[in-house]
Amino acid sequence: MKKTLLEIKDLKVNVEEKEIIKGLNLQIHEGEIHIIMGPNGSGKSTLAYTLMGHPKYEISDGEIIFEDELINDLRADERAKKGIFLSFQYPEEIPGVTVEEFLRTAKTSVTGKYQGIMAFKKLLKEKMEELEMDEEYATRYLNQGFSGGEKKKNEILQMSILDPKLAILDETDSGLDVDAIRIVAEGVKRVHDKDKSILVITHYNKLLDYLNPDYVHILLDGKIVKTGGMELAEEIDKRGYEHIRAKYSVH
Amino acid sequence: MKIIDSEIYSLPKDIDYKKEYLKFEAALPEGVILEKINKDKNEIALDYLIAKEFEEAKDQLTPLVEESYNTGVVFYLPKDVKVDQPIKIEFNMDDDNPVVINQNIIVADTASEATIIIDYTSSEGVEAFHQGITKIFAKDKAKINVIKIQRMDNKAKSSDTNIGFIKGQGQINWISVELGSAITVSHYSNYLEGEASGSNLSSIYLGDGNRKIDLEYSMIHKGPRSISNIETKGVLMDEAEKIFKGNLDFKKGARRSKGVEEEYVILLDPTVKADSIPALLCHEDDVEGEHAASAGQINESKLFYLMSRGLDERKAKKLIVEASFRPIIDKIPFEDYRQIVIDEVERRFMDDKN
Repeated sequence: MKKTLLEIKDLKVNVEEKEIIKGLNLQIHEGEIHIIMGPNGSGKSTLAYTLMGHPKYEISDGEIIFEDELINDLRADERAKKGIFLSFQYPEEIPGVTVEEFLRTAKTSVTGKYQGIMAFKKLLKEKMEELEMDEEYATRYLNQGFSGGEKKKNEILQMSILDPKLAILDETDSGLDVDAIRIVAEGVKRVHDKDKSILVITHYNKLLDYLNPDYVHILLDGKIVKTGGMELAEEIDKRGYEHIRAKYSVH
Repeated sequence: MKIIDSEIYSLPKDIDYKKEYLKFEAALPEGVILEKINKDKNEIALDYLIAKEFEEAKDQLTPLVEESYNTGVVFYLPKDVKVDQPIKIEFNMDDDNPVVINQNIIVADTASEATIIIDYTSSEGVEAFHQGITKIFAKDKAKINVIKIQRMDNKAKSSDTNIGFIKGQGQINWISVELGSAITVSHYSNYLEGEASGSNLSSIYLGDGNRKIDLEYSMIHKGPRSISNIETKGVLMDEAEKIFKGNLDFKKGARRSKGVEEEYVILLDPTVKADSIPALLCHEDDVEGEHAASAGQINESKLFYLMSRGLDERKAKKLIVEASFRPIIDKIPFEDYRQIVIDEVERRFMDDKN
């Protein structure tokens, strides 16, 4: 029996006084790939931000337990240090800081260990090659002037450098062309191969063709209404969310 | 907002500065004059000191310096001469030499070129006092770059006036770095007098603790097609106060001239005070003056993004501030001085409660 990595118990989350997550339960074991699918407005991004600790997302009830520790009140940087990573749907542009400098600072912060310049350069080069990224990106300002696809690849690059225990991918597949999806999926797989856990939050199933999820969950109106395997994703793909809503909605 | 109170701002009595401050030792091209200022001996300087242009450029602080200076350099560049090495001037005020009142005069003849770096520091806890005036004459096609770094201790006071006269297609480029002292006054006035005269002023400032910062940058366009550019990036935290006045003044005759001024300031604490007063004065129709300013706190989404990568709040803020300073710091053409500035910004953050 694998160890439980993340356990969410009856989670309720408010954003600006409005309840978005309305009692969500989820358990992720080490090495598992989970997919949460849901239509727009179902609470997907709220869940992603809440798990990462965005101060605007207020937990009104329930528990988030990571490696047997309640992390409800931890700040984002503390969660990152515990091994949680969020690939942002809309990564921020930080002009004035190069990708390399930023990642070296982040790696130092997350591991608490100084990253030697040369050793880090080597690691970065290797990871960039895996993601078929031009070396030149290392010297560019973080996300500035990057296309949507380049930003997503950069998120996956950050993930592979920071090597988290749990990677949450928020709509990482949106805005990617076929080749980029393959490269991103391979990047995710490489992290997964090291027995890390993955939580993919999406409303398409583009990425799923490449990953082999252990569980597919359907999120509707702030609750997981159905858990199954790939057949659920296929059902959504074939019949759409309206059908799913009619079938699984708990009114 | 009045930042400088005349009662606390008077000249000290003991005004000797005995330390060596001119650090330039390389051989200079023929005809170049580089010497310490001396009331009787600098003939070249005296010619320019009495130039009528200065009469109109004076402000209330300059006569003090002109009469009471204890340091300064006179630097003359003959026609077509380029000095490749930077002229380094370093003032390090301490218990024995707490006062620097310096007058620097730089005269760049036609098509000459040089870079001057002036670095002001003071020992910890010393109530050092710096007051300075730097006057530059840049003739046709001359190019003078001046980098001023002020990183004095929090007990110190610093006031600096800079006046540039630019003839023909001459150019003066200033980089101003204001990181220290309890009170900072930093004024720049550039007179673009010729056709296609140019001046750039890039600056960064950091206000922490109770620092009071008074910045006034003026570009006075007189010649046609003259071009000026002001770019300022600042950060304020704790109880720091800042006033910024940016003046683009297009005089009669400055047809088809262009001036751009931008000021961006990051406010890290709600207790800071920041005022910006941009002014655009036009005596000609056919001129272009652009002004952009913004003052704001660090974007919450950016902060969260950085924190999600393991940076604590202070580190994340420091990163954003350094990033905003970066384009200006990168203009300093010497790695050692870039590093000095980066280290000082870092140190200011480490001391701080943010």
